Amino acid sequence: MTSSIGAKIGSGFGLALAILIVIGAVSYSSTAKFMDSAGWVAHTYEILDNVAGFLSAMKDAETGQRGYVITGQDRYLEPYRNAAAAAGQNLENLRRLTADNPVQQRRLDALAPLVASKFAELQETIALRRDKGFEAAAKMVLTDRGKEAMDQIRQLSGEMQEEENRLLKERTQEEKERAQGTKSTIIFGSLIALIFVMAAGFAITRNIATPLKEVSQAAQRIAAGDLLVDLPATNRRDEVGVLTQMFLRMTQSLKQMSEVAKQIAKGDLTVELVPQSEKDVLGNAFLAMVGDLRKAMREIGEGVDVLGSSTSEILATTKQVTTGAAETATSVTETTTTVEEVKQTAVVSSQKAKRVSESAQNVAQIAQAGRKSVDGTIEEITRMRSQMDLIAESIVRLSEQSQAIGEIVATVNDLADQSNLLAVNAAIEAAKAGEQGKGFAVVAQEVRSLAEQSKKATVQVRTILGDIQKATNGAVLATEQGAKAVEAGVKQATQSGDSVKALAESVTEASQAATQIAASSQQQLLGMDQVASAMENIKIATTQNIAGAQQSEAAAQNLQELGHKLKHLVGHYKLPASESKPLAMRAATGT
Amino acid sequence: MAVDWPAVHHRLEAARAAVERLLSLSEQDKKFLLKARATSLAVLPRSEAAEEYLEIIEFQLASETYGIELRHAGEVSLLKELTPVPCTPAFVLGIINVHGRVLSVVDLKRFFDLPNNALTDLNRVIVVRKDGMELGILADTIHGVRRIPQRELQPSLPTLTGIRAEYLKGVTAERLIVLDANKLLSDPKIVVREELK
Repeated sequence: MTSSIGAKIGSGFGLALAILIVIGAVSYSSTAKFMDSAGWVAHTYEILDNVAGFLSAMKDAETGQRGYVITGQDRYLEPYRNAAAAAGQNLENLRRLTADNPVQQRRLDALAPLVASKFAELQETIALRRDKGFEAAAKMVLTDRGKEAMDQIRQLSGEMQEEENRLLKERTQEEKERAQGTKSTIIFGSLIALIFVMAAGFAITRNIATPLKEVSQAAQRIAAGDLLVDLPATNRRDEVGVLTQMFLRMTQSLKQMSEVAKQIAKGDLTVELVPQSEKDVLGNAFLAMVGDLRKAMREIGEGVDVLGSSTSEILATTKQVTTGAAETATSVTETTTTVEEVKQTAVVSSQKAKRVSESAQNVAQIAQAGRKSVDGTIEEITRMRSQMDLIAESIVRLSEQSQAIGEIVATVNDLADQSNLLAVNAAIEAAKAGEQGKGFAVVAQEVRSLAEQSKKATVQVRTILGDIQKATNGAVLATEQGAKAVEAGVKQATQSGDSVKALAESVTEASQAATQIAASSQQQLLGMDQVASAMENIKIATTQNIAGAQQSEAAAQNLQELGHKLKHLVGHYKLPASESKPLAMRAATGT
Repeated sequence: MAVDWPAVHHRLEAARAAVERLLSLSEQDKKFLLKARATSLAVLPRSEAAEEYLEIIEFQLASETYGIELRHAGEVSLLKELTPVPCTPAFVLGIINVHGRVLSVVDLKRFFDLPNNALTDLNRVIVVRKDGMELGILADTIHGVRRIPQRELQPSLPTLTGIRAEYLKGVTAERLIVLDANKLLSDPKIVVREELK
């Protein structure tokens, strides 16, 4: 069996085609004959129709003529005029249709002069009626020339009809026979063709369908997942044979794959797999899967390690968080206490600020009074300055007067000097006088003594004057200093006034500041309330944090157990020593 | 510094009253004073008749006190309108007019090499004369006339040497140097006879 399935099917179909062609040819010839017979039957019917039409036309012509003759009216001539043309036409048709029949031709030849005679008689009659009236026409009719011609026409027409009816009978019989023949040809031919086609179909089906069925059943089992199919080995080289062989190879490949899958399922990732071809999707996918699985297992292993350490860290962190939260709770309690203290402090500072504001107002009033008194002081000091001026004036006058006294004293001194000299001279004169001048000498001595006393007095007065001068100078200086002091006092007082003014302003500012401080303290109090509520929230949050941290700790312990389990699971997988080989394989296969 | 103004007023009043009292002495007071003076004058000097006395005019030259015998002195006068004379020794200050007489004035301080003081209105001139020769001796101050006992006068001190020793008459215990007017006036050194050439 070396021919291909196409050739087999082609030969089967060719046989059936040849039988069909034979049947077709037979049927065609039978049908053609049948159709010929049918044509002749129709031909005969046409001739019969024409004969009948001719007779009818002749009758119409006669009817028209009679009507005209009777009535004399032209409108009765209408059927006559139409019939003349129709009868001619019918005769023409009959001559053409019966060209193959000499008997009928002869009858037509006999009929032609009769028709002409009849039409001439009808013409004549009509002309007579028109020209000479009814009597002449009736006379013409009563000659029976027309009737005889008409009778002969009828007779000839009847013969023709008879002839044609006989021909029709013959032809119908022949047609019937032909139809029967065609029928039997088709029936028998079809039967033979059926037998041949069935035989060929059976052979081909047997040759192709059986192995295909086996293969399809095997495919069904494979589809159901059963790879233990066993197809008989075949040496067929047609498509079925190739299909079977390839199916076997596919099954083997699938078995190999399933083996690999089994190994993988057992956890052995050291399996080596060679793809069937470059387009081996499954093989390459397996290869990629194995590679990915190895990588994934390694990564999972690493991940499990990381998970373990992370879990330990998380545990440590949660413990820290727990302790931290506990510390936070303590701190929150402390802060709450502090906030309470700050609140009390704020209350106190608010009260203090209010008191400061009140006292600042008092101080402002005091400063006002102080300013008034400073103004008074300045006035007093100004008056004092004028007094000082008066004092200075008096002292200067005193000084001038003591100068006058000094001049007088100088004069007295001069007089004393001169008296002294005079006394000395007197003593000299007394000495010159000798014993008699002795008394005079005593007087001179006395004068001299007086002069001395005067001189001493003047010296004393001068000393006193010097003291007075000094004193007045001192007084002037003191007055000057006093004036300066008064000036300074005025300045000082002015400065004091300014200071008091500034103090009043400062105090006013202080009062405002104190008011602001009081307001601020109030706000602070509110803020502290908010802080206190926030602290309460923090407290709750901290408690929740502790609970959460404990949950986290439990979760982390679960995580640790999970890590251990994962490690155990990953430990089931056998991995090749290094990752380089599968990677190289992947590179080689080009996936 | 509180001033006790009432006290000040009181003191001023007291001072004014005292001045008033001094200026308008009552008769009784005047009498009392004069009587006191008279009493003091009436006291007799003690046993002066028995001794020899020298009457001298006591005057000051620089820091030393000098005396000159009264009998040699003509009068004392103020140093007024001194006219310097050219072509005379340095000790001759110049000439003055005393009651119409022209006298030359000698400065003994220069003569005795004593420290020189500037001339003032207080300087005096003691006019001494002998044998018709009159001379003005410049004195810084004239203390007055004194009588000193002869026995108190001591010979020259060893410290007084040179020219001063030549004109010295004696020294008292009170370091009063008594000059010998005779010697002074007769000394040819003091006589100026120079001619303008």
